Parts: sequence; C-alpha cells; structure tokens
Amino acid sequence: MPLLTVELAHRLISEGRTAKRDIALTAKFKPGDKVVARNMHPTGHTRIPRYVRGRHGIIDRDHGVFVFPDSNAELAGEKPQHVYSVRFTARELWGPDAPARDVLYIDLWDDYLDPA
Amino acid sequence: MSNHDHNHSHRHNAPLSDIALRVKALESLLTEKGLVDPAALDAIVETYEKKIGPRNGAKVVAKAWTDPDYKARLLKDVTTAIAELGYGGLQGEDMVVVENTPSVHNLVVCTLCSCYPLPVLGLPPVWYKSAPYRARAVRDPRGVLKEFGIALPAETEVRVWDSTAELRYLVLPERPPGSEGMSEEALAALVSRDAMIGTAIVMLEEKTTP
Amino acid sequence: MNGIHDMGGMDGFGPIEREAEEPVFHEAWEGRVLALTRGCGAWGKWNIDRSRSGIEQMPPAEYLRASYYEKWLWRLEKLLVDAGMVTREEIERRYAETKQAAETP
Repeated sequence: MPLLTVELAHRLISEGRTAKRDIALTAKFKPGDKVVARNMHPTGHTRIPRYVRGRHGIIDRDHGVFVFPDSNAELAGEKPQHVYSVRFTARELWGPDAPARDVLYIDLWDDYLDPA
Repeated sequence: MSNHDHNHSHRHNAPLSDIALRVKALESLLTEKGLVDPAALDAIVETYEKKIGPRNGAKVVAKAWTDPDYKARLLKDVTTAIAELGYGGLQGEDMVVVENTPSVHNLVVCTLCSCYPLPVLGLPPVWYKSAPYRARAVRDPRGVLKEFGIALPAETEVRVWDSTAELRYLVLPERPPGSEGMSEEALAALVSRDAMIGTAIVMLEEKTTP
Repeated sequence: MNGIHDMGGMDGFGPIEREAEEPVFHEAWEGRVLALTRGCGAWGKWNIDRSRSGIEQMPPAEYLRASYYEKWLWRLEKLLVDAGMVTREEIERRYAETKQAAETP
C-alpha cells in the first residue's frame, strides 16, 4: 500500500495542516505596544526578513500561538509562541523619501521582537 | 499536419525536455518503491487545475458585499466564514481578510517565497512568485500598482501585507459604484483574482484579466 | 539565513512580467512536481518549515535562474535524499535510464 494514496491526497488538501497550537502561553506583547525587530542573523531558516530587522513598529494584532519556524525547520522542536501582525511605516523601513501615508504589516513571532 | 506551425512543440509528439524526464524518472522511482500511487498525484494535479481557483474567493467577496451579516462573520473569523461556503484546507487554515476602503488600499505579497491563500484563490500566478514582485511590493507598492494600472492618490493609505507566517491574506475589494441591485452571482463574475491580491480594482464591466 | 530568497526591498529585478490567460501549469511536469512535493510531504518525514528551508539553500545564482517549479524539483530531491527515502545515486541512475529510453526510437 503506497504511503501516498488518493484518499490521503484529498484529505491533505481539504483539511490542510494548521500551524496554530491550542496552548495558553503568555504573550510578550499586546496590540499598541511599541516593538523593535531584533537584529538577528540566524544561519538557519527564519521568517524575519532583513528589511525589518532593527526597525521600530507597533503591534497591531496578536494572531495567537503558532509553531516557530526557526526551530521547527531544524527538527529542534515546535517552540510554539505568539505571532503578531506588526505595523511599520514605509518611512521607518525605506527612509524619509517613502510616501508618508504608506505602511507595511508583517507577521513576526515573539522571538523576533524586543520591546521598544 | 502540413498546416501546423512547427515552431512550437506539439504535446503529442514533442520530445520531453530534460526536466520533464527528470520528473518522470523521480515519479517512477517513488512509485516503484511503493511510496506514491500515481493516481494520488493525478488527483492533486486535477484539484489545482480544475477544482480550486479564484472563483472561490470571488464568491466570498460577493457574499460579503451583499450580506452584511456574512461580512461581519467574515471579518470576525475568516476561516469559519469561508468554510460556510465549503472552502478551506491547505494553506488557508488561518486566514485574514483585509478590506479596501476609499482611504485604504491593501496589497498582499510573500517576499520570502510564495505564500498564498490556496483554498480561495487556487495556485498563485507566476508574477506573484517572481523576484520583481517579491522585491518591490514592500518597497514601492505604488510603483507596483502603477504597473498594474492603478494610480492611487497620495492621501490613500497603502498597506502592504508580507505573509511571513502561516496567516494567509485575502483582500476584500471595494464594491464598484453602480453595482447596487446586482445579484451575488453577477457580482462574483466581476471580481478578478488580482483584485483579491490587491493589484486590481473591481470595475463594473466584466473582468478582462484573471 | 541571509539568503538570496530574502528579496524584500532589493532593486534591479526590472518590471513585473505578466502573462495573459496564464495556465495553472505551463508544462505537465510542473503539475507532477507540485503533486509529488505536496504528496511526499504528507508522509511526515519533514515539515513545511524544513521544506521552505530547503529551497533557501539553493546556490544563489541557481535560485535566480531557476523557474518556480525548477526550484521545487531541486528542493524535492534534496528533501527526499535528506530523509533517506531515496539516494542521490538512485535518482541520477533512474534519470539516466529514463533519458536513454526516451532517446532510443
């Protein structure tokens, strides 16, 4: 019996596999908090892009607790933690010539952020 | 066959490219080892080629436009609301809807790879996964939108959403003026895939682009 | 990692090229690669984060040159070999055989 069957394929697509974890963990931040994205440069997998590192933003929303990709990719455990939608102004990211009204929202984990 | 233009390859008798042969080889290897059933692969291909696509998202949008209670449910819990219409699953397990308004325009990107809300939009187009879009959408969204034919006034707030985690974003475009009284079905036909990514505006005439 | 995949904000890539009436798959092999990748992932030998990490390890020049599904094939082979499902030798041998068979009339 092959490991990948038609039935399994259909279930895989229709059910998916959420990365959210139903764990009650204290969030480091709450909406409205000022944060700074860490100046971190892991050599393994990470989902914090270079363009936000060291930049100042504001927590817009707490999405809940999710698997942490940096550790999960190395098969070093899921390390579930809060993920936030963090708002950065375009000028904060790209300098004073960026449009005044524009903003960027990016999803960042607890371990990517420090209080500002 | 004499009238054919032989500058393009005919699927029925063109030699397989090296990469096609490599994929065929890999598939045969995995099948032989009893690890995959080719019928399962057929099913996955068919699902994404024929069954899941932006018409799903268009239905969500049209329903949100015409049914205020549905829109409220959608904005509160997207995943459950799209499940009401039978949509959900892989790469749409945790969704967020971002609403365009007269003062806010949203644009979705995945700078790091190609994350995209598959259950409501199907597979992403090549341009969404391309280096120019991934690089520039966060840095110069207005320039990107101009390339797509959208010029926004300076007073509009442009919000770019970089899909770095497992949240998948769907833009709820503005309902075009003059569409009052249109049926949900007719409205859905107006909603292009690009409008749900943020690179198009929904217009009253039938969409000419995907 | 500070890889080539981390493209946000980079300059120099030129205009965004779009294809009208773009098919879901331009060639049949693309669909097979997608199906194989999604399907093989279901075994649980790797997770989505490890899978993304795979593509990030492509040498930068190859990453930029490769089409989307060429990247997926590169990544799939790497994941399968790393997980011990197949060996690199098996892949190359089967490819050589398949190519040989295709070239023989």
